Amino acid sequence: MTETLAPEQTVLTPTLRKRARGLVFWAVIALFALAIALITIGLTGTSQDAVRLSPDSPAPAGARGVVQVLRSQGVTVAVTSSLAETRTAAAISGPESTTILVRDTESLLDGAQLRSLGGLSSNVILLEPGFRQLNTLAPGVAQAGSLDSDVVLSADCALPVVQRAGTVSGGGHGYRLVPASADTGSETPTSITTACLSSGDGSDGGTDTGSDSGSESGGATAGTGDVYSLVRVVTGESAVTVLGASDALTNETIVTRGNAALALGVLGERASLIWYVPSLADVAAVSPPTLAELSPDWVVPTALLVFIVAIAAAFWRGRRFGPLVIENLPVVVRASETMEGRARLYQRSSARSRALDALRVGAIGRLATACGLPRTASVEEIVQAVASISGRPLDQVRTLLLDARPTSDRELIRLSDALLELETAVAAQR
Amino acid sequence: MAVSGWFVALVALGVVPLIVLDQPVVLVAWLILVILLTTLDLVLAGTPRGLRFTRELPARVRLGESVASRLLISNAGSRRVSGIVRDAWQPSAGAVATRHPLSIPAGERRTITTTLVPFRRGERRSAHVTVRSFGPLRLAARQATIEVPGSIRVLPPFTSRKHLPSRLARLRELDGRTSVMIRGQGTEFDSLREYVRGDDVRSIDWRATARRRDPSSGAPSLVVRTWRPERDRRVVIVVDSGRTSAARIDNEPRIDTAFESALLLAALASRAGDRVDLVIYDRRVRGRVQGATGADLLASLVNTMAPVEPELLEMDWAAVPGLVRSVTSQHALVVLATSVDAPGAAEGLLAVLPQLTRRHTVIVSSVTDPSVVDATLARGDRTEVYRAAAAERALLDRERVSAAIRQLGGVVVTGTPADLPPALADAYIALKAAGQL
Repeated sequence: MTETLAPEQTVLTPTLRKRARGLVFWAVIALFALAIALITIGLTGTSQDAVRLSPDSPAPAGARGVVQVLRSQGVTVAVTSSLAETRTAAAISGPESTTILVRDTESLLDGAQLRSLGGLSSNVILLEPGFRQLNTLAPGVAQAGSLDSDVVLSADCALPVVQRAGTVSGGGHGYRLVPASADTGSETPTSITTACLSSGDGSDGGTDTGSDSGSESGGATAGTGDVYSLVRVVTGESAVTVLGASDALTNETIVTRGNAALALGVLGERASLIWYVPSLADVAAVSPPTLAELSPDWVVPTALLVFIVAIAAAFWRGRRFGPLVIENLPVVVRASETMEGRARLYQRSSARSRALDALRVGAIGRLATACGLPRTASVEEIVQAVASISGRPLDQVRTLLLDARPTSDRELIRLSDALLELETAVAAQR
Repeated sequence: MAVSGWFVALVALGVVPLIVLDQPVVLVAWLILVILLTTLDLVLAGTPRGLRFTRELPARVRLGESVASRLLISNAGSRRVSGIVRDAWQPSAGAVATRHPLSIPAGERRTITTTLVPFRRGERRSAHVTVRSFGPLRLAARQATIEVPGSIRVLPPFTSRKHLPSRLARLRELDGRTSVMIRGQGTEFDSLREYVRGDDVRSIDWRATARRRDPSSGAPSLVVRTWRPERDRRVVIVVDSGRTSAARIDNEPRIDTAFESALLLAALASRAGDRVDLVIYDRRVRGRVQGATGADLLASLVNTMAPVEPELLEMDWAAVPGLVRSVTSQHALVVLATSVDAPGAAEGLLAVLPQLTRRHTVIVSSVTDPSVVDATLARGDRTEVYRAAAAERALLDRERVSAAIRQLGGVVVTGTPADLPPALADAYIALKAAGQL
C-alpha cells in the first residue's frame, strides 16, 4: 500500500474573488466597446430620419432643403403628424393663407378625415396620393404608375409656377385624367382641371388626350401623352394639387433643372405651409378585448414563474460535478481489415480469374498435403494424384484445378463450390 | 456553487401564494425570499476547501482483478461538511461507484472506499476529487474540485500461466531423460555420483572410480557421470510495438498476445535456468528488462509491459541486431514477437534476419487470425466467395513470408491468440531438447 499525502492541496475551482477578477476584465472590455460605439455614433450623426421626403431629413432622399429654403423666403412651415395638430396649426394661420401638403403613402386617413382636411385650407397639395385620397379630394384623377428618376419633363401648360420652372425632374408617380362619373359630376359642376408635366409615355395607347378628360380641361393641356405629374383641380374657391414629381423636392435633386422653382412655386404660394405626414395617431383604435384583459391577473406572473423554474431546473441538472477525466482511447483496428479490403476490391473490379486463382492455389496446397505429396511436387503430379484418389476423370480434375476460366460470377461460385467439394472428397478418401 | 432539486421545488412552490393572493408583486417577493434562503444556506454550508485528502491504494493490480481504493478525508474546517463527493477515476479504471455521500463533523476524518475493476492495461489515474457541500436547508451547495492525484498500474493478466505446470513437467522429463539416456549436444556434465542399479553402464567414469576408494571397506565403488540439459543460456525477447501490433485479433491487440507469450516463455526459461531479457521496441526502446532473475524477473517484466501501448510507427528492424548485441554478445535464443503478414511489410524483418541467424537461434512468433481460416471455408454467395479468395491470398502471403524466414534460418511459430503462448513454449522446449540454445 502506498500512501500519497498532499500537505498543500491545489484547488482547481476558482474562488469567488478570482472569478470576479476575471469578470472585471471582460466588463472593462465591454465598457470600452460601448464607449467606442457611442463615440462613433456621435461623430457620424444619427440619421434618425432616413424616410423618403421627410421634411426633417438631411439625407439625399429627404426634403429638408426645400423646407429650409421656404422658411428663409418667409413662409411659415409647420410639420405635423396628426390631424389634431394640423387643425391647430391651420387655425393659427387661417384657411385662406394656408397651404396643406399631405403625404399619406400608407393611406392612414379615411374619407371623412380627408374631407375635413379640405375644409381646413383652400389649397391642398397631395404629394404622391393613393387611390383613396384621389377618390375623395380629386375624383377626376387616377393613378398611372411610377416614373423613372431619369425622366425629364418640360413645362407644357399655362400654370405660371410650371412655366417658371421650365424643365423638371420627373421621378415619382404619374397620374391620368379620367371622366368623372355621373353622380360626382352633378355634385361638382364647376371644377376646372389643369394637367401639366406630361411624360408622354401613354403606354395604354393614349389615342386621344383632350377629349378623354371628361370634365373641362384648362386649355393648356397640350401634352403628347395622357400621363401627368402635376394636376390641379380648382373647384370654386378651393384648389387641390396632385403632385407626382416627388423627386423634384428631394435634397438630392432640388438644385437641378427647374426643380427648385417648381417646389417654391407650388409649396410657397401662401404665407404658411403645413407639411402633414399622417401617423398611427390618426387611426381610430377600437378592437375587442384582448386575451390579457380577459384572463385573471395571476396568469402572466405564473407563466413568468414557470419560466424561472425551468431556468432553475436547468441550473440544477446542468451543473457539472467536477471536470471530465481524460482517457486516451486505444486504436481499434481489426487485423482482418486488409483481407476485407482486398475482397471488396476483387468484387468491385470483378477480378474473377484472380479470385479463382487464389482459391485454387490454396486448394492445391491442401490437396497436396492430403495426398501425401511433398511441398516440391509439381501441379501435374498433384492433379494426377487427386484424380486417382478421388476416382474422377483426369480431364475433369485438370479443368477444375487449372484450365477453367470463369466468365460470370455464377460460374465462379460454381467452380469454388466444386473445389471445396473435391477437397472434402479427397480428405474423405484418405 | 450548485443548487439542488429542493431549490427548484421551492421556486415552483411560489405558484401557491401567487394564485391565492392574486397579486403580481407576490412573484417578486417570493423570489427575494428564495434568494435570501439560498444565500443563508450557502453561508451556513461547510467549505469543501477545508477538507484534506489522503489516498491509500495499492501500486499495482492484475488486469481483471478488483482492488479497493481508499480515500481518507479529514475536515480541517470549522463546520460540518455534508454532501456528496466524487472520486474522478478514468472510465477504464472501472470504478464501481464514483459518487459517495459524505458527512464529516469539523475536525473528524472519514474513509471512502471505491472498488476498482480496471478493464484496460496500463496506468489508470484519478486526477481530482470534487466535493459538493450542502447547507442545512439542502437548497444550495458549495462545490470545489481539489487535485488529489492517484494512479494504479494495471498489469497484463498473464492468463497463459495455466499452461506453465504442464510445460514445466515436460522440462523435468527432459531433465530425467537426458541424465539416463542421452549424451551429446544439448547436455552438459553435471556431477559424479555413486552407481546405482539401473544406471547406464556407459556413463561409468572409470577414472573417477579408480581415483576413489571407499576408505572403510576398501571395496571399489563405481562412479557414474550425470548429465543434464545445458543451463545458463540466454533468451532475448524482442517485442515489436510498432503499428502492426495495434491490430486486434479476437478483440485483443497483437501486442497483448506477444506479452502473454513472452511472460510464459520467461517463466519457463527462468525455471529451466536460462537468463531472460526483454526489449520492447519500435523506433526507440519502449521498455527493457535486463539482468533480472528468479521471482524478480516476472514482476519486473509485467511492470515494464504494463504502460506500453503500440505506437503508430513502422518498426525499425535495422536497429534490432544492434539491440540484441547490446543485451548479449554470446549465442542466444532471440524471439521476435511480431507479425508475418505480407511480404511487403516483412521486408525489413527479412533483411536483418541473416545477421541475427548467423550468431543466434531465432524464433519469429506471430499471431494469426482465426477468422481468416474461417473465411476460406464460407463460400455461400458472391461476396463470400470473393472474401474466401482474399483470405486464401492472405494465407498464401503469410506462408510465403514464413517460408522465407525458414530459408533464412529462423523458426516460425504462429497461432491464434489463445494458442500462441503454449506454442512458443513448446518451440522453446523443442530447441532445448535439441540443444540448439
